Amino acid sequence: MKASKINIALLGNPNSGKSSLFNHLTGLRQHVSNFPGVTVDKRSGTLRLNNGLEANIIDFPGTYSMYPNSSEEKIVINILTDQTNDNYPDLVIYVADATQLERHLLFATQIIDLGLPMIFVLNMIDLISEQGDSIDIKPLAKYLGVKVIPVSVRNNEHLDNLSNEILEVSSGLNHTEIPIKYVFTDVENFVATRIQKNLFTPSLYSAKVIAHHYKWLNHLDDDQKAKIKVITEQSAFNDLNLQVRETMDRYNHFAPVVRETIKVTKTQHKTLTDKIDDVITHRVWGPFIFFVIMFLMFQSIYSWSSVPMDLIESGFTEVGNLISNNLPEGWWTDLLVNGLLAGLGGVLVFVPQIAILFFLISMLEESGYMSRAVYMFDIIMRKFGMNGRSMVALISSGACAIPAIMSTRTISDPKERLITILVSPLISCSARLPVYAVLVGFVVPDMDILGVFNAQGLVFMGLYLLGIVGALVSALAFKVILKSDSNSFLMIELPNYKPPLWKNVFLTVKEKVSSFVVEAGKIIVLISIALWFLASYGPENAMTEAISKAESVSVEKNLSDQDRDNLIASYKIESSYIGHLGHWIEPVVRPLGFDWKIGIAILTSFAAREVFVGTMATIYSIGSDNDGQTLRQKMASEKRPGSEISVYNPATSLSLLVFYVFAMQCMSTLAIVRRETNTWKWPIVQFVFMSVLAYVGSFLVNQLMA
Amino acid sequence: MDQQRTLLDLSPDESAYIDKLDVGMSTCKLLNLGVLPKAKVTMVRKAPFGGAYYIKLDGYQLAVRTEEAATIILDKQI
Repeated sequence: MKASKINIALLGNPNSGKSSLFNHLTGLRQHVSNFPGVTVDKRSGTLRLNNGLEANIIDFPGTYSMYPNSSEEKIVINILTDQTNDNYPDLVIYVADATQLERHLLFATQIIDLGLPMIFVLNMIDLISEQGDSIDIKPLAKYLGVKVIPVSVRNNEHLDNLSNEILEVSSGLNHTEIPIKYVFTDVENFVATRIQKNLFTPSLYSAKVIAHHYKWLNHLDDDQKAKIKVITEQSAFNDLNLQVRETMDRYNHFAPVVRETIKVTKTQHKTLTDKIDDVITHRVWGPFIFFVIMFLMFQSIYSWSSVPMDLIESGFTEVGNLISNNLPEGWWTDLLVNGLLAGLGGVLVFVPQIAILFFLISMLEESGYMSRAVYMFDIIMRKFGMNGRSMVALISSGACAIPAIMSTRTISDPKERLITILVSPLISCSARLPVYAVLVGFVVPDMDILGVFNAQGLVFMGLYLLGIVGALVSALAFKVILKSDSNSFLMIELPNYKPPLWKNVFLTVKEKVSSFVVEAGKIIVLISIALWFLASYGPENAMTEAISKAESVSVEKNLSDQDRDNLIASYKIESSYIGHLGHWIEPVVRPLGFDWKIGIAILTSFAAREVFVGTMATIYSIGSDNDGQTLRQKMASEKRPGSEISVYNPATSLSLLVFYVFAMQCMSTLAIVRRETNTWKWPIVQFVFMSVLAYVGSFLVNQLMA
Repeated sequence: MDQQRTLLDLSPDESAYIDKLDVGMSTCKLLNLGVLPKAKVTMVRKAPFGGAYYIKLDGYQLAVRTEEAATIILDKQI
């Protein structure tokens, strides 16, 4: 008997409702981590059973069969063929779509042949009766040899039966031998038997699966791989033909069972999905609707978020004032208000936009629209060296490049996948939103054009378009440069449209927002505190010298008290550590129209883009005594030294915006690219080409506008 | 001798039964998705910019590329 907690794996084809079941079973007791050694999201959670025991339940990536095409599916196979893996299940809950039973049985019968105990969950039975069909689970249960539980996760039907069954099965996990369903050929039998003798696999079938996949199974060492190579080559084990043979054989066996289980009363009318797709994937309307959806998406991010953002921003200003008015003056009050609070406000103000963005994107995913975009734009993506599936990555890059880059695992062709990874970060992500939001107002005023469009909203849209164009052009360049070995295919399911499950959408938004607040927040708060220190202190004597110099200048010019304080503050920040750093970087950024303060913001932004705003907030709240103003007001009143020209004039602001559109300022993305491509080469290439793009683009804008 | 009929020979809204698949890299993937000999397949439409097809099988929809569609061999009689 294993230790108290058993591992339960949720397995099934994509679109089987597996993840919805996972959300139902675990509720909020779930978290996301990584499978060891790979960055595939591993969603796991705790299932409380009625007898007080707890089980660890893992939602595996959707998988079609033991013969995978995507690297995400390969991870599943890696775990299922490796008994020593920490995630190796004690029990499998297999989720199948009752309306697609035939296809969904394939992987189920393979898992049973591996020798894993299984509960077979027949999901979406509500749709069966809706279609006027009838269902009888007895023939299916008899054929499979495992318990079959018909449920509807969506309507919450019969889920109690499932919980009871899990309790019953997991309290007595005794192996009842189920005879193997696939009849081996002589070659398969010979090869599998020899591999089983070598590796002690739990079943003959898992030995056969290893024979097919030994080259990429990462739990085998080189020695074992060499042995298997010899075994398969000696017996002329034809990988591809035997995969096809096995698959066909399985289908032939369970096709009659499916016909007995689900009695179809043929009705040849158009389904709702057919009707929707007549319009949504129409040759003319399809692409048009796609662009309307994208346009509305970014308009709504901009307009819905302005009220909550203003509330959060002014809330932080109020709290800051309250603290600084009520606490005694001192370095720690200063640190609290100008370091910590300024940084924290800089993070939290973007929560509304990020929440809206992830909400809209998960709606597109949940409803089934995303795969239509894949289908419609496959050919165009191919022209740019990518795959229709790259659409998913590029659209989700609008939220964050990290999950987008991870989603490229569904692309089987290495070159297409690499190009998608390299250009995804050029699509403006939610971290750029803060920068855009702060600066857009300095480029155009807040006014309506033609009575409907908001001018700032249009500039916003323009920045996103610039990112998209940058991504496509770079993709084209990489397509020419990179070598190809093609394993490219489209073949994608276009699932029936369904209203999004609110619970799924809610959990996605919650997970993404909290990971933004925690992950980005950690960096931003740390950098804010570091900046506060660097801006408040300077090399020995420099600070006191600056103050006395400022004082003598103000006496000389007979300045008012307020003007004197401002002068002291600006002399102080210039002679601080950060002032030195800023002046050191200034020659590099001056051709772009930036001063040393912006230079510092750019430097710190290389950790993460959203740090820009926190940096600005920290620099300006230390550098001026205009407390009670928002950051934007402070920036607007900032003038170039000795002149009346605003620092944030349209040329500089637009140049800065263009810089942020192109620059690779996200350490987390670089780290993910390193993990996904398994080498430092690609993140370095990415960093260099994006930085060059940013510098050149920004330079051109500033020179043309100034 | 007449040419093999493939999925590409179907016009929109036309249906046929699959005879076999030309075994290649995409075969297993097609089988995983339920594209099987004896299955009935309907051509629904071509993608807006070409290159791919929207097809319907028994109660579900797939998108396949031209090259992939060419490996799906249809029964001779309609």
